[in-house]
Amino acid sequence: MSGAKARLDSGSMLRRWLGAAALAALAFAFVLPILWMATTSFQAGEKMFQLTTEWIPAVWHPENYPNALSRAAFPRYFLNSGIVSIAVMGCNLVFCTLAGYGLAKFRFPGDRFALLLILSTLMLPLEVTLVPTFLVIHKFEWLNTYQGIAGPLLIDAFGVFLMRQSMLAVSTEYLEAARIDGAGELRILWQIVLPQCKPALAVLAVFSFRDSWDQFLWPLTVVSVDRFRTYPLGLALFGDDYGNPPTEQMAIAVLATIPMFLLFAVLQRAVQRGFGLSGLK
Amino acid sequence: MLDSKSRRAKPAVDRKTRRRVLRGLGAAGAGAVVGAASRWSFAQGKAPINLSFWTFDNPQQRPWLAKRIKLYTDQNPNVKVDFQWFPFGDLGKKLSVGFATGTAPEGFVSQDWFMPVWLDKGLIAPMDVSRLGYSSMAAFTSDFAPAFVNGATKDGKAYGYPLWFYGYLNYLNTKDFKQVGLDPVKDAPKTWEQLGEVAKRLTVKDGGKFTRQGFKFAMHAPAWTMIQFNPILIGAGGSWFDASGKCTVNNAAGVKAMTVRASIARQYGAEDPADTIATPPLPQLDWFKERASMFFCHPIPPTLIQAQNPNMASVPYYSEVQYPGFQPGKGFSSTYGFNLVISAQASKDKQEVLHDMYRFVMSDPVDCWKDTAPFTMARKSGWVDNPAVKAFPHMEEFIIARDEGVFLPRTLVYNELADAMHRAVQKIMLNRADIKASLDEAAAEVDRATAAYKKG
Amino acid sequence: MNGVAAPARAKAGAAGLRRGSRGFGARYRIQLWGVGFILPTVLFFAVFKYGPMLWALELSFTSYDMVSAPHFVGLDNYRSLVADPIFRETLLNTLVYIGGSTVLITLVGLGLALAVSTRVPGARHCMTAMFLTNLMPIIAVCLVWRFLLHPHGLMTQLLHPFGVDRIDWLTKSTTAMPAIILVTVWRFAPYFMVVFLAGLLAIPDEYYEAARIDGATALQRFRYVTLPMLAPILFFVVVVAALLCARIFLMPYIITGGGPGNATRVLSMLIYETGFSYLKMGRAAAISAVLFAIMMVFTFLQMRIYMRREEAYLR
Repeated sequence: MSGAKARLDSGSMLRRWLGAAALAALAFAFVLPILWMATTSFQAGEKMFQLTTEWIPAVWHPENYPNALSRAAFPRYFLNSGIVSIAVMGCNLVFCTLAGYGLAKFRFPGDRFALLLILSTLMLPLEVTLVPTFLVIHKFEWLNTYQGIAGPLLIDAFGVFLMRQSMLAVSTEYLEAARIDGAGELRILWQIVLPQCKPALAVLAVFSFRDSWDQFLWPLTVVSVDRFRTYPLGLALFGDDYGNPPTEQMAIAVLATIPMFLLFAVLQRAVQRGFGLSGLK
Repeated sequence: MLDSKSRRAKPAVDRKTRRRVLRGLGAAGAGAVVGAASRWSFAQGKAPINLSFWTFDNPQQRPWLAKRIKLYTDQNPNVKVDFQWFPFGDLGKKLSVGFATGTAPEGFVSQDWFMPVWLDKGLIAPMDVSRLGYSSMAAFTSDFAPAFVNGATKDGKAYGYPLWFYGYLNYLNTKDFKQVGLDPVKDAPKTWEQLGEVAKRLTVKDGGKFTRQGFKFAMHAPAWTMIQFNPILIGAGGSWFDASGKCTVNNAAGVKAMTVRASIARQYGAEDPADTIATPPLPQLDWFKERASMFFCHPIPPTLIQAQNPNMASVPYYSEVQYPGFQPGKGFSSTYGFNLVISAQASKDKQEVLHDMYRFVMSDPVDCWKDTAPFTMARKSGWVDNPAVKAFPHMEEFIIARDEGVFLPRTLVYNELADAMHRAVQKIMLNRADIKASLDEAAAEVDRATAAYKKG
Repeated sequence: MNGVAAPARAKAGAAGLRRGSRGFGARYRIQLWGVGFILPTVLFFAVFKYGPMLWALELSFTSYDMVSAPHFVGLDNYRSLVADPIFRETLLNTLVYIGGSTVLITLVGLGLALAVSTRVPGARHCMTAMFLTNLMPIIAVCLVWRFLLHPHGLMTQLLHPFGVDRIDWLTKSTTAMPAIILVTVWRFAPYFMVVFLAGLLAIPDEYYEAARIDGATALQRFRYVTLPMLAPILFFVVVVAALLCARIFLMPYIITGGGPGNATRVLSMLIYETGFSYLKMGRAAAISAVLFAIMMVFTFLQMRIYMRREEAYLR
């Protein structure tokens, strides 16, 4: 690939630009549904029934947004989702880091076993443990509460591995040196290890937030009171109510997508490094 | 029967007396006075009562219930009601889980087809009809058609207070009728064959695309599948279960009924089942938007039509007629309804308050009609003779639909039955599966579910 | 790793000894810290993962409608599942879904990564754009695609030039599951594109140069340089994608409701319906056990790769 630099003639220039065009077309095709969602959210409700796609609305209907928000307690639903997702993200950031660090940099009896134990929770997602987890949350009297919705999501094994993977790359020499100098363990973690793991932290932040923001089945199971509904439940119910235009449903969908895109935009550099893409110019 | 106005006059006088006395007496004295005053009010003393009440969502019915309950709590400030609502198809499931986890509401609206399950598991409490304002059990049962009240009584006790009961009607777009040269009154279909023929003439196609379907069955949810298939099955002489509890939807009559159901699309080419499922979440939206000319639906409030299609509402170019039948003039729809019930898990004093609340809620039937027309109430008295009610267009059709419909099967495995039928109808209508084979599968599913329920 | 640490630790140990008799104490203290770091997580998983799973296994041998106490029924739940055509169909659907989606996600992800790795102008932006589809809330994805897959919706319209008039994507059992797989691939492939891309970028250019000098064609370079170097990532992607797909609930639930008939019902849906619609918690637990078994297979595979990589890394 870098060999191409030595052979920049018009033929391969053309090929490169053709390739770029093809890739751009592919990316555009991929992204089409998002664009459809965005333009449809500004259409009049009637347009949905005509089954032809008008990419640029002839008439813009920005009132779809405030209308949609007023159909049900959507501001409240978004607030609930936000609270839960921030809690889940925060908890994951803290405890996955701690556990990842413990598994990466410490040797103690049973550390192998602990690793296997945590790894194996990957086969115990909520979909598999739905019924008993519901019963557990019910026993805690956490039905219809924020703790109930966030509870089972607070620590995810993937996050533990991510942090562990990232911390394995941190040189142990520094740690030992710091210990000799008398630094406390937490200080070592905070000042030496974590700064080197920022990309992994960014990835963990984005994906733990997203997985909580996306949750449907669990809130569906645990919430039966309107004021604790999360926005996916509201969106699903939106269709059930009488006469709500599908275009307004798309407006809510757009609103739900924005926080994810924003979060990613803020952490984009770090996330890309976290994935190991720093080589891509 | 219900005399709330005269009772409300008294407490004003007692309040003044009470205040003077209270200033003079100590707590014990005050308690005695309060006890006396409560005889005049609906509230049970001053003890605060917190209740939860669940109902299904509907743009007319739910707000009316909320309004009446709020009026009640305004007059009885010690009562607080947590009012929750759920989609029509979800309410039963949420209630089941609520009972199971001990988080069920104290009072709720029960869809009548779930009554057998609540009764079988002892989840709802018997009601004291005198607290509801009836002088005796006989007075209570005579205020409703037997069909409505039978589902709410057991062993001579009432377990539900029937609120709304209504039947489905065939909603026609009269403009479309006239457009193809039909008379919306004379040519309104009275038999299933006529329905097919008329639907065929009303259909407008553009190549393979249906610009307008002559007729449409709702296919988006098991609850609707049941409601729409039920009258066809019964009308064909079939039944859901036989005396021994075995599911008989796959016998000859059942096959005949399902063939009729499928004929609109298969034989007459007037319906597009695939389109039905895929688009608007609410099937009557297609009728509102004039993408379908005929549609079976529960009573539709004029305000809804006004909101969706002001033209159709203002002219108006729609009308309601009875279901077609296997013989002309013998058509009937599904009648189903809702009862106000009380959870058996609620404490005694909450049950008492609920009685009073229900009595109050039901004390103004004409107000109910004003807000929720044309959803018909189950009771006979207090509203049918009201001039405003009588003046409602096609009122007699709604009453006929309510009184002459057939009930949904009252079985302990309603959810399983509905899901099995829904699957069968989808296979038949979307995959052109063999009718007998699909019904056989559905019946087998239901029998398995019944056996599992019995095993406990 | 240990080799590097050993002399340092020896130094530290010696330093500790010099400071008094705290050498072993220091190591013990560090061990304690290690345990302390992982303890909250282990406790959390005990309460929210292992506890419930053991409870589920216990429940699967009972009949429990939650209103009355559970009563023991032995293997009845499992027996009735085996005899139930709906369960068998659902199980088959789930396996088909996992298989089809995983293969396509891997192929499409790899393809996209290869396309982006050619570093044509704008590749980075294209990659970011495609990655954004992975961040879109799943419920929004489902709602949008339900409209796109209408018989006369956008997907059909795109095929008009090929003479296609209408395709009943979601309502014919032949196209319903492929449609759900399509949406799944659309949603997940970009994530794995990025994973593959990282792997591709890590392959040193010298290898390709060497192959080129030896006269290898592009295809041969792919086969003999790229694939072997990507093998561990490939395996990782397949296993993780399979685990993701095994859990899927929302796609079939929102887009087709499990229909037409039973064509797109998957195990997670069946668990929810059996438990919360029919209130048969024992039976739902038995179905959960089956899903658990499927996931166990893939997880063990993943653990094997992970542990083997560990050995290689630590050696």
